[in-house]
Amino acid sequence: MAISAATAQEAESTDTTGSSRFGWLRAFRRPMTLTGVVIVGVFCVLAIIGPWIAPYDPSGVSKATLQPPSPEHWLGTTQTGQDILSQMLYGTQVSMLVGVLAAVVATLLSVVVGLAAGYLGGVSDEILSLLANVFLVIPALPLTVILAAYLPKTGSFGIILVISITGWAWGARVLRAQTLSLRKRDFVEAARATGERTTSIIFRDIFPNQVAVIAASFLGTVTGAILTQASLAFLGLTNVTEWSWGTILYWAQVSSALLTNSWWWFVPAGAAIALLGTGLSLVNFGIDEFINPRLRQAGIGTKKAQRAQAKAARAKAPRRRRSEARSSQGRTRTSDVILQINDLEVDYVGEGSITKAVNGVSLTLRRGEVLGIAGESGSGKSTLAHAITRLHKPPAQISAGELLYQRDDGTTIDILAMDEDELRRFRWEELAIVFQSAMHALNPILRIGTQIDDAIKAHRPAMSAGERAARVLELLDLVGIQTDRVDAYPHELSGGMRQRAMIAVGLALDPEIIVMDEPTTALDVVIQRQVVEKIIELKDRLGFSVIFITHDLSLLIEMSDTIAVMYAGRVVELADAKEFYRNPRHPYSGGLLGSFPTLSGPKRELEGIPGAPPDLRRLPSGCAFNPRCPLAFDRCTAVVPPLFALAGEAEWQQAQAACLLYEGDGSAPDRVPSDEGAPREDHRLVEEAR
Amino acid sequence: MRVLLRRGFFYLVTAWAAISLNFLLPRIMPGDPADALIEKFHGKLTPAAVKALRVLFGQSHASLWQQYVDYWHNVFTGNFGISYAYYPTSVSDVLGQSIGWTLVLISVCTVLGFLIGTGLGMIVGWKRGSWLDSLIPITTLLSSIPYFWFAICVVLLFAIVLHWFPLSGGYSVTETIGLNWGFISSATYYAVLPALTIVVASIGGWLIGMRNMMVTTLSEDYVKLAEAKGLPKRRIMFTYAARNAMLPSFSSFAMSLGFVVGGSIVTEVVFNYPGIGTVLFKAAQAQDYPLMQGIFLVITVTVLVANMLADLAYVFLDPRTREG
Repeated sequence: MAISAATAQEAESTDTTGSSRFGWLRAFRRPMTLTGVVIVGVFCVLAIIGPWIAPYDPSGVSKATLQPPSPEHWLGTTQTGQDILSQMLYGTQVSMLVGVLAAVVATLLSVVVGLAAGYLGGVSDEILSLLANVFLVIPALPLTVILAAYLPKTGSFGIILVISITGWAWGARVLRAQTLSLRKRDFVEAARATGERTTSIIFRDIFPNQVAVIAASFLGTVTGAILTQASLAFLGLTNVTEWSWGTILYWAQVSSALLTNSWWWFVPAGAAIALLGTGLSLVNFGIDEFINPRLRQAGIGTKKAQRAQAKAARAKAPRRRRSEARSSQGRTRTSDVILQINDLEVDYVGEGSITKAVNGVSLTLRRGEVLGIAGESGSGKSTLAHAITRLHKPPAQISAGELLYQRDDGTTIDILAMDEDELRRFRWEELAIVFQSAMHALNPILRIGTQIDDAIKAHRPAMSAGERAARVLELLDLVGIQTDRVDAYPHELSGGMRQRAMIAVGLALDPEIIVMDEPTTALDVVIQRQVVEKIIELKDRLGFSVIFITHDLSLLIEMSDTIAVMYAGRVVELADAKEFYRNPRHPYSGGLLGSFPTLSGPKRELEGIPGAPPDLRRLPSGCAFNPRCPLAFDRCTAVVPPLFALAGEAEWQQAQAACLLYEGDGSAPDRVPSDEGAPREDHRLVEEAR
Repeated sequence: MRVLLRRGFFYLVTAWAAISLNFLLPRIMPGDPADALIEKFHGKLTPAAVKALRVLFGQSHASLWQQYVDYWHNVFTGNFGISYAYYPTSVSDVLGQSIGWTLVLISVCTVLGFLIGTGLGMIVGWKRGSWLDSLIPITTLLSSIPYFWFAICVVLLFAIVLHWFPLSGGYSVTETIGLNWGFISSATYYAVLPALTIVVASIGGWLIGMRNMMVTTLSEDYVKLAEAKGLPKRRIMFTYAARNAMLPSFSSFAMSLGFVVGGSIVTEVVFNYPGIGTVLFKAAQAQDYPLMQGIFLVITVTVLVANMLADLAYVFLDPRTREG
């Protein structure tokens, strides 16, 4: 039971979704789980048929005393000549029966208490939780021993009762926490709103979602009950004439089997308990991994995880040099490129399937530029952010492309070719990242100051503690946090403050580029505004470049120099922010722009984009946007459009759009029509042009 | 502070519940243990001893409430009556002689088991996906082995076959108990095998729990950020992952400790160790109810105190619990 202690703690915070109610059956496919199932299965069969296949009467004495294992007595004999194999076979039945029945009773108790406490809440919850916690803290075995002693020489029934009384509390606690979290879920709320009866909600909506947790708790209790029964029997507190694994050990101990060196007397019973316990735990691992999918991922400490990251990229043939890379990108306004992304591809490698989350993305970031990347969820924008910093984890893997970083002195380095050490030095020194949720990205149990100091200490080993402390205060001041909050913990700061602290962490080493992955999404509009203004102010003052990723296009237009719109892993439009706002070229950009209010600028009617973002595993043929596109025509389902260069004003970036409307001279329709009638017309226009 | 007060209150309630349970059990269980004992020791008991028995196990003439009050009076004065297994020693004396052995053995083993198990769990979790994963089935097997059976195997191997360590007992009979070098070294020598049993058998549980929490913690954003910041691996592993991953171990300490205590008690029996487990075994054999009750109380109170210490450590490690 102790095995699942911390695991179950974790289970309290996770939950299973309504759609995968019986998905946990899949857990049985893993070899480890399967082994467990087989072990438990064999014991179950033995428990049922044991007494029939036993070669001797387990209590029958004979003259063959203390015989080691032999063809007549496979497991040897006892001091009085009893056959140990027969005792084991009878014992399996009793031990398993006690284990399973005690676990059934204990699990029933914990389900009733857990569901009731979690669902009813209020005073009943307080009382039931207190009761469970009290039973958890009172050491179970001494209590069991005393209970068993008051029922002297009881048979299995009394023992089952005693074990269930002491064994229900843990399951009840886990189930209560689960019920609490499920109760707040939409489908339960909905059932309550429609006036369903409480009992029916509990049994129809809540209970099925907890099958996995209940099963895990049941199996754990079986192990515990078998162990407890064995202990009690070993101490002579059960009926010692009834054969169970514990009773065999009791007689072995009482008859000093050790001193006569008759190992065969006590080895089989203990081995059986250990084996069955292992089998049950293995099954439980499978269930744990189902409940908590994160347990299946590879750890970051492994070389494998580090290597898998950019395997394909490093295995590639000689890399293109900087000049070639530049020319392939087309016209660029200035030569002060700092980051060049060429044909980057990021795959999610599943079991036998590969999903392209980022598909041939090429982008250019210049010094002092704010490059905004927009897109719906699932467009690959966050995957791109993680790939740029090489922070992606398996199953994500960069399969192709280049990430070229240009240093101050003009030399170019390929980020994908860096080894772990180079990468460690490069990251943060040159390229920092600010995560979406500061709540999760700051370690809750370390002070803000320490978390900034850590970064400095790792990269500037020569700096003294005093210098670092001064720098930490300077950084806090820079982002607008009072310097006396340096010793605060993340939970002591407001949401906006935490995000500022995150930015301070990012700025710690004065990086050249900061990648911001939805840094303001979790904040309310007013705070969002303050944080964005702070970022712009700092950018102007410190001169770093920003890659800003968000789904909030209006925010992006305001703060970016260049905007890239992503759809289904590809960049579908790339343009100057102002030009983009005035004249979005890609039909998707038009729709996206139409679905957000702007903070400033003329009012316009909000429209949504019909349909939903595509499933990356089953992309439509041709242009991925074609099923949702009001302007789609036949060829759109046949050809994946590349980025076409477009005419128009450009300060930072010549506009490009990946849409067949612009095939040819790139000047075709200069405005994506947003009114109802237009699409048909346009459609025809393009068709004629062809 | 408020968290500590709340926990303190909880432990008071638990202690009250456990002691009251102890009072109630003999009164609701079938049969009359007091009668059985008086019968057994026919004529040998002094009137005072009979009275003490009645207070513990129920008097026919006093009201239940009066019995309850008397019972509490006895608990606070440490008067648990006379032990019958060790007649005529009083229960308090028997407890006094044995508690020290168990306390030292279990606390040292719990700390060792926790440190080794959690440390190994940290490494296995950190290197999840490597060959270290193959340790999991092995530790599962280890933690499924009943403590007492493992103890028997250890005795067979190290005491009977190899003669490295003594078979049973707590110290060599030639030494006198006290703070002298001879006794301490002898006691340590005798404690090696029981300690080995308890530590090895308890490592598995800590290891697997910690490993799972470690793996979960490693996918947190703050660990990713720590990695991005370029912190040394060691710093990420200890300060950003392990320290956070350890927290649930503390909050589920109660259950794990109960498990270790239960296992240790039976282990003592195998080694005939002069601690409270062996005494409990003898008490159960002799149906010495006063002694069993006393042992249950002492173990419960000790476990409660240990849990309070774990709670203190938790508050020390997690700043979030420090405010209201």
